[in-house]
Amino acid sequence: MIITHVRGHSALRERDEDLDTSWFSQLDPRVKIVGVFSFVVVAALLTRPEGVTIALTAAIALAAASRVSAKRLIVAYAAAFPFVALASASIFLFSGWDRGLTMLARTSSCVIPLLVLALGTETFDLFSGLRRLKVPGMITTLLMLTFRFLLLLSDELERMKVSRQARGFRGGRSLLDRYGLRVLSFTAGMVLVRASARADRVYEGLRCKAFRKDMIPWRTSSVRSRDMAFLACLAIVAGVLAAVQYEVLF
Amino acid sequence: MTYKYEDGTMALRDVDLSIERGEKVAIVGPNGAGKSTLLNLVAGFRMPFSGRVLIEGRELNHENADELRSEVGLVFQDPEDQIFMPTVEEDVAFGPRNLGLDDIDARVTRALRSAGIEGLAKRRPHRLSYGMKKRVAIAGILAMEPEMLLLDEPTSGLDPRARLELVKLLREMDKTMLIATHDLEAAAEIVDRAVVLNVSVVMEGTMSDIVMSKKVLQDAGLELPPVSKLFDAMGRMGYPVDSLPVSMDQAVAELTRVIDREAKRTSELRGPGNPRSDRKSRQSDARGNGD
Repeated sequence: MIITHVRGHSALRERDEDLDTSWFSQLDPRVKIVGVFSFVVVAALLTRPEGVTIALTAAIALAAASRVSAKRLIVAYAAAFPFVALASASIFLFSGWDRGLTMLARTSSCVIPLLVLALGTETFDLFSGLRRLKVPGMITTLLMLTFRFLLLLSDELERMKVSRQARGFRGGRSLLDRYGLRVLSFTAGMVLVRASARADRVYEGLRCKAFRKDMIPWRTSSVRSRDMAFLACLAIVAGVLAAVQYEVLF
Repeated sequence: MTYKYEDGTMALRDVDLSIERGEKVAIVGPNGAGKSTLLNLVAGFRMPFSGRVLIEGRELNHENADELRSEVGLVFQDPEDQIFMPTVEEDVAFGPRNLGLDDIDARVTRALRSAGIEGLAKRRPHRLSYGMKKRVAIAGILAMEPEMLLLDEPTSGLDPRARLELVKLLREMDKTMLIATHDLEAAAEIVDRAVVLNVSVVMEGTMSDIVMSKKVLQDAGLELPPVSKLFDAMGRMGYPVDSLPVSMDQAVAELTRVIDREAKRTSELRGPGNPRSDRKSRQSDARGNGD
């Protein structure tokens, strides 16, 4: 609130600091979606360790070249890692360490490009790109509304957290703190109630702007030479992976 | 019309109100008076329990609410609830795009200019100040070019400068407006007519009429603006105050009249023999004689 107040009326002269200007973020979202998902499909079908190693190397190279924040990427990967590790651990236990490691590398080579896509593209651009790729409007609209609801939830959660702290609440750090857990459970309920009320207002706000059921794609970018170059690179990598898989190479 | 909440609480009782094209009307009243509910009814988000809402002679109902809402643009109290898209220009273009209107870029440019935020087109709305967000929300509605604007507490939460700028913007805007507010001072700057609402319509008239009715204000839980309070105090002190101004322009005009009246009264009290009157008449004679 203080920051907002201080920013005040100089807003007209300001620029958003977090505007991503990397080449990856400038690509047409449709190209990114098609390219990354194609790569993921190819990588998921690999069985030979050599192919999986190349796929993982390519995924890491994409992450490095995309200039997506390494910190954000590592945090996101760490959040996804328990799920990646769970699948690999079961293979490791029943089929041996080499297969377990291959599974871990294969899953990572799928997850990393998807994280790069998610972190290197504005969320609304992704939805718009999906819509322009003829994904049904109902699905993209639901995704967008869900995303907006998650933002609302997080906003309300933050407000409630500040409100609790402002009144001296420091509990809830131990499972034995029954009072703290009780307060946190009330907070969770209140967050849902408040987020739900705000979601109703947001929906009314959308209806004020003639929204019916479908988010009409709003950005009309065209595929340019750099988009084609990106697709060509991914196609070459996919070709190499296929050649390795079918033992044409190695 | 009458409207009750689901729990049976009466929100609006026998409200009868008509607004002419081009007219700016303020709905003033305390919290819980039904101001926002009235705006929601006019915007077709709720339907009256009894009675009806007519827009351009057409009765609002569930079937035509979406269609008529393009004629009536509702600006929420909290702009956070109304801004959806990642950049200002995309948010402003959202409504016209949904309506399938042509020449969207020109509409967006016009709306941004009307709201005084042309320079913010590429900005992310969530990073703007609250006052600027209000303007983005207004621009988003203006881009749809509705016949009428409904504004719910437009000045709430704004710092003095942002408030002043928004009041100026709304005053200069050539649109039919229905403004729900308890900011009497801002309302006086913007509107032609005001309605005091406290579940029912308590009073209707100009803002000056309303501030002169202290009983109505007191019953409605409204407070006189500071400038009106000053003139009220002056009246009680014996100065010849005829009406209570609400805005600064009205205050300057009323103060000028008070000074004239006071000077005249003083002059009458002193009579022709007083030195000041003699000097004035002498000056007047001199001008008349061409000296």
